[in-house]
Amino acid sequence: MAVETRKRGAVGQNVTKVDGPSLVAGKPVFTLDLDLPGTLIGKILPSPHAHAEIVRIDTSEAEAVPGVRAILHFGNVPRVPYTTAGQGWPEPSPYDTVLFDRKVRFVGDRVAAVAAETEEAAREALGKIRVEYNVLPAVLSPEEALADGAPVVHDEPDAEGIYDARKNIAAAVDIPVGDVERALAEAPVTVEAACEIPYSQHCAIEPHCVLAYFDEVGRLVLRTSTQVPFHVRRIVARVVGLDPARIRVVKPRIGGGFGSKQEILLEPVAALLALRTGRPVRMAYTREEVFVSSRTRHPMRVAVRLGAGNDGVLQAVDMEVLSNTGAYGTHALTVLSNVGSKTLPLYNKARHLRFHGKAVYTNLPVAGAYRGYGATQGFFALEVAMDKLAERLRMDPVELRRRNHIRAGETSPIFEKIGEGREGTAQIVRSCALEECLRVGAERIGWKEKRARRREEGPWAYGVGMSCAMQGSGITGVDMAAATLVMQDDGSFRLLVGATDLGTGSDTILAQIAAEELGVPVDRVLVYSSDTDFTPFDTGAYASSTTYVSGNAVLRAAQEVRWQILEVAGAALGEPPEVLELSGGAVESRRSGRRLTLAEVGHRATYVTEQRQIAATASFACPESPPPFAAFFCEVAVDRETGVVRVERFVAAADCGTAIHPKGAEGQLEGAVLQGIGHALYEEMLFAKSGRCVNASFFDYKVPSALDAPRIEAILVPSEEPTGPWGAKSISEIGINGPLPAISNAIYHAVGVRMVRAPFTPERVAAALRLQGR
Amino acid sequence: MRLQGVRRFHLARDVEEALSLLSAYDGRGALLAGGVDLLRVPGREVEGLIDITRMGLAFVDGAGGRLRVGATTTLTEVLESPDTAHYAGGVLAEVLRAVAVPPLRNMATLGGAVVSAHPWADLPTALVALGAEARWVGDTEGRGSVEELYQGEFRGLFRKAVLTEIRFPPWEGAFAYEKVGRSATDIALLNACCGLGMDDGTIAWARVAVGARPERGERLPWAEEALVGQKAGPALWAEVGRLVESKVEVGDDRRAGGTWRRHTAGVLVARALARAAEKAAG
Repeated sequence: MAVETRKRGAVGQNVTKVDGPSLVAGKPVFTLDLDLPGTLIGKILPSPHAHAEIVRIDTSEAEAVPGVRAILHFGNVPRVPYTTAGQGWPEPSPYDTVLFDRKVRFVGDRVAAVAAETEEAAREALGKIRVEYNVLPAVLSPEEALADGAPVVHDEPDAEGIYDARKNIAAAVDIPVGDVERALAEAPVTVEAACEIPYSQHCAIEPHCVLAYFDEVGRLVLRTSTQVPFHVRRIVARVVGLDPARIRVVKPRIGGGFGSKQEILLEPVAALLALRTGRPVRMAYTREEVFVSSRTRHPMRVAVRLGAGNDGVLQAVDMEVLSNTGAYGTHALTVLSNVGSKTLPLYNKARHLRFHGKAVYTNLPVAGAYRGYGATQGFFALEVAMDKLAERLRMDPVELRRRNHIRAGETSPIFEKIGEGREGTAQIVRSCALEECLRVGAERIGWKEKRARRREEGPWAYGVGMSCAMQGSGITGVDMAAATLVMQDDGSFRLLVGATDLGTGSDTILAQIAAEELGVPVDRVLVYSSDTDFTPFDTGAYASSTTYVSGNAVLRAAQEVRWQILEVAGAALGEPPEVLELSGGAVESRRSGRRLTLAEVGHRATYVTEQRQIAATASFACPESPPPFAAFFCEVAVDRETGVVRVERFVAAADCGTAIHPKGAEGQLEGAVLQGIGHALYEEMLFAKSGRCVNASFFDYKVPSALDAPRIEAILVPSEEPTGPWGAKSISEIGINGPLPAISNAIYHAVGVRMVRAPFTPERVAAALRLQGR
Repeated sequence: MRLQGVRRFHLARDVEEALSLLSAYDGRGALLAGGVDLLRVPGREVEGLIDITRMGLAFVDGAGGRLRVGATTTLTEVLESPDTAHYAGGVLAEVLRAVAVPPLRNMATLGGAVVSAHPWADLPTALVALGAEARWVGDTEGRGSVEELYQGEFRGLFRKAVLTEIRFPPWEGAFAYEKVGRSATDIALLNACCGLGMDDGTIAWARVAVGARPERGERLPWAEEALVGQKAGPALWAEVGRLVESKVEVGDDRRAGGTWRRHTAGVLVARALARAAEKAAG
């Protein structure tokens, strides 16, 4: 693959993160680091029942608790059906939620909210709200939800956009290409795999939190830990009944989101409490509330059937999905769609495809956006099926991928057929270094030798496994980002972006993208982001969009500013802009060699002659969504006596185009891989028969820590994405798609059992081994 | 939020003062050493916290093959003591390395672990296997083996008494500890601690304890009897492992099922025996 090798300045450098120093110095940069006088504490009363009608609610005793200032419940707030999903418009998730309903639909659902002078008073008041429930039968699995005569989770008449409420189906898709049944029947080789993922939570270090207050002119400010400030503004305005022009949303530093903060959860409640009391209100979920009442990954069962020729080339792929969206359908349709749209194009040789499935309601916690966004679930099944196919064909799994994966210049009908809850956009893959990823990754782990000779040491059996994945870079036809770049009188720059850095480093890489075009060091570009009053629009940080979509907006703004600088300098030097070059903080004439520093340009434009503000606002809408690609290889050790699985080593070779900040990109890849290892080995929310989550804490819900991390080797395999800023595409999500199938396939290589239900706990692995008599 | 009702914090100078404060609070006072369980377990109405970490009860003393550990010695201090490394084949260091994470081990105390006695914890299984003895001061001075304490109403005892010291007897031989958790920082899904003394290739004495079954660690006397007088070796470990698998009392909880625990108990005992024998052989 041809990669542009020209020398770059800021791009490709591991510059200091623009927010790094203040973060490591413990500066007060997070949402709740701001103390406002007179701030009230808001708390939410959760439902103790999985499914119940509220017959009566009596708040008189709670109101009498000293320090209580407001109580919200279904009886005193406007009823506006909406979705908590922070997505673009038109919103693809059903409007099946109201702020406070007469009915509760899962243990942890919102019943009421209190604002009080102290947390103690708020808690005391919650305990004194008397609620009479009429408990209804609950559905606690997708199978129960789909059964004839099942209780209906959403029977409210004012919900909109539910696929089939009476049957508990929030969303459904069925997308055929060609004739998959016939092609499967005629294929010389067929295999099947059905894989299952349970409830799991993002576990961002910082819980969801918000501070709502009125500024000096009476406008509502929401300082909130969100991935989607502009969607927060739009949705809060509608739900609370405020003119959007009266709302300002500010996103300070965030301690992680991973999709769980692509949701409008606490903001409207805090806004209403602030409105009712006229006081600042701060709200934060406890860790237990984060687990139960924020959002989770969609538990899912994905069944894949593959038909191939004896040469391994795929002829047919059928993918069927049963997704559990929990009590509300936020992201139900789009996560479901993504299971197919972000996986099936990877192997574009098959002419016959069918992607079909349902997302169903249950009386369990609400699933939402989570890094990988359906692709994680899809690749688990697809890549285990590919491993089975390789075995059937007695072919090296790497070779099987090579024969099937998409290349630059190729396309897949899926791009056009499946989009963000609607039809997608046809596109050609313009950059793809997957072949190189496969080669480099296999070499690094010692694939050929380890695959050929399995190692055993006492009870430990070692195996290697692999998988591939892709993702997207933004959502075509939906995402739009804008950037405003301003040159100051001293020749430095201000970059205003709506983009939302949630710990990913996007503020830094956007500064790098601008600095590269402007020929200045990164520290000459001050980034101010995510403030709906001061920064231009951006759909937000999700769908692996920021580097590509926001980055392109920044690049366009920088190109315009660059041209303005050359015009000003040209006038000063008496030379046409075409002969001028901008680099090293100065404009230089190729013709005369005369120079003007940027400080001189800024000074001249601001004060001296033909005074003007050098500035530009540019935007970028996402016409296509270039996929990053990756190949994952891992070595596992399986204790055949206890079922314990240890990941010994993990190699992830990824093509994210040009890595704007290589260390940052590697960090994204390593973090996503470790999160994926958590899915594979540890993470599972467990529920009692009542529907209550019984392990909603880090004591009993284990996420991998540094002590669990194996050697993770992140390899960035460069390509040049022609539509990306400086050749870049995304990296944030793809890494989480690899571990589940790669580890499952490695376990199979080690001990010959197929683990298809995550997580692969000692008990499950031991049971599988016993079943196979090994 | 926990411990919301705390009104006073006391630094007890000695056991007598701690006891008199405890008595004065009449059930609404709590001894504070590491504070780990005080923070973890909600629901107790605590008005007075009585800090017992300044009473000279933090020490590790090994002499003559024995080990004495003060009750407020942190797990890290025990772990890092050279005396611990030399005791019973270094088994306490093995156990302590398996307890949670370093920051928590910096807080938690050995006395706290004895008193909390969580069934899923690592230490109770080892304390029972090692025949540890607890010493306390309440109305009178008392002492008793941890194993016997755990069979009785020890929680009531330690509401009115201060645990002062844990004594580990000398063993001519070695112990080893085995654990399965979900992650490196997890509590045990199952654990086992076994010790052996050898006389010319024959087993002179044996201790076998299995914990987190999910019940608290207990010795399996029938497994110990099956070992004593036998020739040490892989065949014996396997045989005792099978015996344990057939007879050990296990149960289900949300973390693991009885079937897996039963099988794994046999595996862990056989492994601990093999390693203990290796250490004992020197």
